[in-house]
Amino acid sequence: MTKLFTMTLVMISVTLASTALADDLPGGNCLECHLTIDDGVGELWQDDVHALAGIGCDACHGGDWTQDHSDLAKRPGTGFRGELSAREIVSSCGGCHGDVEYMKERKPLLPVDQLEKYWTSEHGKLLVKGETRVAQCASCHGAHGVREVNDAKSPVYASNVPATCGGCHGDAEYMSDFDIKTTQYDEYVQSVHGKALLEKNDVRGAPACNDCHGNHGAAPPSIDAITNICGTCHSYNAELFLGSPLAPAFKEKSLADCVACHGKHLIRHVADEWEGDKPGATCRKCHEQGEEGSELALYFTDTFGSVRESFDDIEQLLGEAEVKGMDVTEGEDYVEAARQGLMQARTLMHSFSKPVMEEKVSEIAANQAAALEVGYAALQGLKDRRRGLAISTLLLLLLTLGVAIKIRTLPPLD
Amino acid sequence: MSTSPENPDRALLAWAKDRYPIGKFVEWAKHKTVPVGRGAFWYYFGGISLFLFLIQVGTGILLMFYYKGSADTAFESVRFISAKVPFGWLVRSVHAWSANLMILSVFIHMFSVFFMRAYRKPRELTWISGLVLLALLLGFGFSGYLLPWNELAFFATKVGTDIVGVIPLIGEPIMYVLRGGEDVSGSTLPRFFALHVAFFPALLTVFIAAHLFFIQMQGIHEPEAWEAHPEQRKTMPFFPHFFMRELLLWLITLNIVAVLAVFFPAELGIEADPFSSAPAGIKPEWYFLSTFEFLKYMPAHVGPLEGEEFGLLLISLGFLLWCLVPWIDRGRSRRITTIVMVTGVAILVFLTILTYRGFAA
Repeated sequence: MTKLFTMTLVMISVTLASTALADDLPGGNCLECHLTIDDGVGELWQDDVHALAGIGCDACHGGDWTQDHSDLAKRPGTGFRGELSAREIVSSCGGCHGDVEYMKERKPLLPVDQLEKYWTSEHGKLLVKGETRVAQCASCHGAHGVREVNDAKSPVYASNVPATCGGCHGDAEYMSDFDIKTTQYDEYVQSVHGKALLEKNDVRGAPACNDCHGNHGAAPPSIDAITNICGTCHSYNAELFLGSPLAPAFKEKSLADCVACHGKHLIRHVADEWEGDKPGATCRKCHEQGEEGSELALYFTDTFGSVRESFDDIEQLLGEAEVKGMDVTEGEDYVEAARQGLMQARTLMHSFSKPVMEEKVSEIAANQAAALEVGYAALQGLKDRRRGLAISTLLLLLLTLGVAIKIRTLPPLD
Repeated sequence: MSTSPENPDRALLAWAKDRYPIGKFVEWAKHKTVPVGRGAFWYYFGGISLFLFLIQVGTGILLMFYYKGSADTAFESVRFISAKVPFGWLVRSVHAWSANLMILSVFIHMFSVFFMRAYRKPRELTWISGLVLLALLLGFGFSGYLLPWNELAFFATKVGTDIVGVIPLIGEPIMYVLRGGEDVSGSTLPRFFALHVAFFPALLTVFIAAHLFFIQMQGIHEPEAWEAHPEQRKTMPFFPHFFMRELLLWLITLNIVAVLAVFFPAELGIEADPFSSAPAGIKPEWYFLSTFEFLKYMPAHVGPLEGEEFGLLLISLGFLLWCLVPWIDRGRSRRITTIVMVTGVAILVFLTILTYRGFAA
């Protein structure tokens, strides 16, 4: 009797649970039907943030989801709109996401200016002009499988953004009518930013396309905005540059501050060859050999080059001492401090000021000299140790000989 | 007896003799002898082990002047000892090398006693106290290894205490007490420090005293052949003959330690970071390598036991049998003696091969 009661209870619970699950997702008969046909809509809907928030199909598509037959569900008078056009998608999404009162009730922390920004974007402007091949909400977020931005499976999750943008902007055929380069994605993946985001998965630190171009208001930054955009992360570099004599000169020549030297999408680690006055060097783009600017560039190159060479010498010296068993950790600390100094010097270069750089370089040189001193002291210490060992060995040998002689003078064994 | 103010040395001796039975001790020392023969060289390793232990005590005390036994300060204090304290590097290196040589010397001493069958009646307790000393020294080594708080020691201790945790029933509580928590952490270091400088020295002193007491009471084991051929019996006086030879070896040992300390000073590595992942190639000290390797070869499961549990069970049983050797081989059956000796050779070869494989891995 008890067994029967328990089994009945379990069956009722299971039935209720499955009914509750089915009721969880809105969509009613639309969903039931779309799960049976092979259009992927029903599957995608399972993880859609709107579905999980209880928003049904009719919110975007209209129709009557309570009807058993599709003809009845889509009949005139139900407001059924079917597949939405690009313009309709923007209006439909923006209808809710731009409604402050509506969003405040449901997702109060989510911004509500997406639509407003979209119309300022290149995508939005072209859409207004009737170009429907531009990106709209569903192009980036997906249509029926929309996920939270911080969901790693979302196409707009930081590390997925380059591929999402690159899906159109890297397609030469698709972009052929728009007069835009299509090398951005390929260049980006080779850049320091691309490597940091896509290889090291630095989703918090490394910028994706939207960090410079904006999200919904995506557009190429203007020349005046470049320093602000790069300066969002590289704030000290930007501050130094804006205070340098180069800032007004760049403005006068309409040069895009950071981009003029570092490039746009293919930003690489800075190398010493960048500076200097040799043909092909970045500084030579504006400064001819012998000019004041060229002299400064030459100073930077020579300084960084000699600092780098000193590191090689120091590491060789400390390595030699360490291999011979000497403690050179103090020297390594000085090397670390000097390396940090070099990194700071690279930043300070944006002030384009020789006195500022000289001050930093003297600090680096002091740390390098201290490291060298540790290395030489270690090698000298090693000599002293071995000399001490030789003396103590001699003394111990004499003592050993003394004991051996004493043993020989002992009375013989029976 | 009156003192003589003209000769202060004699005066002191006379003063002592007046109060203590020094004469009896001198008389005993004069008559104490050591066997002379083919295996006599091996007798010196007991004394060499004792000498290395005294070096350990001396250098250990010096290191304690500067060592700071907490996770925040240990690494830096060892670094300070190595880099800044005058002769600190030497003291630390001598401490590290003499520890290794002492354990090597104790192993040689143990196997020489085994192969000379010196464990037999009446020296059973000498054998047992010697094995306890070996176990204590291994504990010394294990607890001391963590003290510099470097990465290698940290993860080796993690592996070592993991092995302790495998012991059924008591393993986990022991591991918890040793670690001062679930994992090796900053709480583990003060415990190991306390074990290293208080617990093990106290026990070791007691067992060294007992071990030496047994030896002095019963004398040094003589070759078995002398029982059948007493005419072959040859001895030398402990004072000064044996003592001077021992002193000679101590001086040579001291020189070896000095050479090793100068040419291969103790390394420090990088500071332990409990939140980092274990670097590749973590290995324990050489004297634990054979155990480490042995456990590595265990299958995942043996019957109801986990592989490591089974391995530890085998090692424990082996050690128990090793302790019981004086009662297994009483010298009454040549066959049993042969089996025990062959087993001893097999164990020695087995340990050597496993240690080598551990190094090569």
